Amino acid sequence: MVATETVTREIAGAIGVGLRAPHLAAFIADRPAIGWLEVHAENYMGGGAAPAQLDKVRRDYPLSLHGVGLSLGSAEGLDEAHLQRLKSLVERYAPCRVSEHLSWSMAGGTYLNDLLPLPYTEESLAIVARHVAQVQDVLGRKLLVENPSSYLRFRHSTIAEPDFLAELVRRTGCGLLCDVNNIYVSAANLGFDAARYLDALPAMAVGEIHLAGHAAVRRAGAALLIDDHGSAVPPPVWALYGSALRRFGAVATLVEWDKNLPALPVLLGEARKAERAALATLGDHAAAS
Amino acid sequence: MLPLRDVQAEFRRALLAEDETALAVLVDGGAARIEVHRNNLFASLGEVLRDSFPSVCRLVDERFFAYAAHEFIRRHPPTRAVLAEYGGGFADFLADFPPCRHLAYLADVARLEWLMCVAATAADAMPLGGAALAGVAAEATPLLRLRLHPALGLLASPFPVDRIWRANRRDAPLDEAPIELAAGGVRLEVHRAGTEVVMRALDAPSFAFRQTLRQEGTLEAAATAALAHDPAFDLAGALGALFRDGAVIGVSTASESCEATS
Repeated sequence: MVATETVTREIAGAIGVGLRAPHLAAFIADRPAIGWLEVHAENYMGGGAAPAQLDKVRRDYPLSLHGVGLSLGSAEGLDEAHLQRLKSLVERYAPCRVSEHLSWSMAGGTYLNDLLPLPYTEESLAIVARHVAQVQDVLGRKLLVENPSSYLRFRHSTIAEPDFLAELVRRTGCGLLCDVNNIYVSAANLGFDAARYLDALPAMAVGEIHLAGHAAVRRAGAALLIDDHGSAVPPPVWALYGSALRRFGAVATLVEWDKNLPALPVLLGEARKAERAALATLGDHAAAS
Repeated sequence: MLPLRDVQAEFRRALLAEDETALAVLVDGGAARIEVHRNNLFASLGEVLRDSFPSVCRLVDERFFAYAAHEFIRRHPPTRAVLAEYGGGFADFLADFPPCRHLAYLADVARLEWLMCVAATAADAMPLGGAALAGVAAEATPLLRLRLHPALGLLASPFPVDRIWRANRRDAPLDEAPIELAAGGVRLEVHRAGTEVVMRALDAPSFAFRQTLRQEGTLEAAATAALAHDPAFDLAGALGALFRDGAVIGVSTASESCEATS
């Protein structure tokens, strides 16, 4: 019984939501119960109201810094000024986790504002590993790297994505952020088996899980899922979350919602659902063990 | 096998120049898949511009704004990942964009909205008090240069852009009196007070004084510019007001400089 109570408390503390600007005031004023909050690092790299409000939020909640702009996969190297700005944020907010994406955005000095796909080759692996090591050196801490949502595959890729991530972990000691919605979306778009993908990830390295909604569209006759973070987490993603929990254990979990942002109670309701899903999966585990 | 640098150059060409012939050969799924990324890029940056220039968007309507934004993004994509800093060239782009050349005031409304974006998110900096000038020798004073707060911006327009902006805010009342473009121009200062963005009109000499300092002119040059508008300009008063407004973050003579430390 004591074990179950401990698990319940641990799980409640492990569920977080993305903090978006329209909800900032409510988090400061009402301090709703939630384990932790995530922000996009780039939204707090200037001065003025936003970083000052985040100081207030940080007093009441653990914070996870999720970067979208480092461009770990750029052949032309990291933007060192940007990395220094991230370092300043890490020093100011003392986040519980820092994460980025297995993707690239910078090419020829242009920032293409999307998480763009990499060919999975030895060359890419060497470049990403060098950059992850550089980031961890500058920040003086572990980086979690998130699997991307994919819409296309490079014909000259030679390494499967989970193997690429596993080797990245082996070379750099980084952690992984397992976005189960991205796995679901990529599996549908590229035609692979999501369960086998989960099994191929190095379980010990996974330090955070992301949940979100996606949209189904048709583009030039092709049915595609788009990772738009624009709706509630759909049933098949909840199912995959259950598999992820069974494999990775009670890992910190984030509910992301960016487009069509709902009222805060709706978002917190999704977090409660994640909590119940984790309890149903892990509570049984704890009771059985 | 193509080096990653070349793959990324082709990807960039496919997204921005909309020439995906080389990239399509490299990927499974072809054009429809590349289109997803192009949509992400243009939709997200279009939204950034719409959020930063809401009054411009209202003045030209959503559809035209989307078209202008698309052209701007194609020709002047961001160079950094912090999107609050993207859009500084949009006003100049609009000024030269033939489809809206008949809206003479539009670029200045965009300039004003950009100054507001800058005021909202510019780096925090500790303002200096007037005591920063206490140790400066009298003969060195004319050659002083003052570094102004990065949130502070100045705009002179031949149009009443403050009124145009006010009437086209998202929450503006619809029954406001019509604005006469011929009513004359305005000199504006946008700054941050605490964490709030504030705007006010300046008279010609005060504007010339601050504008010269902003452009890193000496105190003497700023005084000359102000006195050209008003021979009775109160120099000491203007200098004191600048410090009281929290506008000065650094003072330097030709040889040494002093900055606030926070």
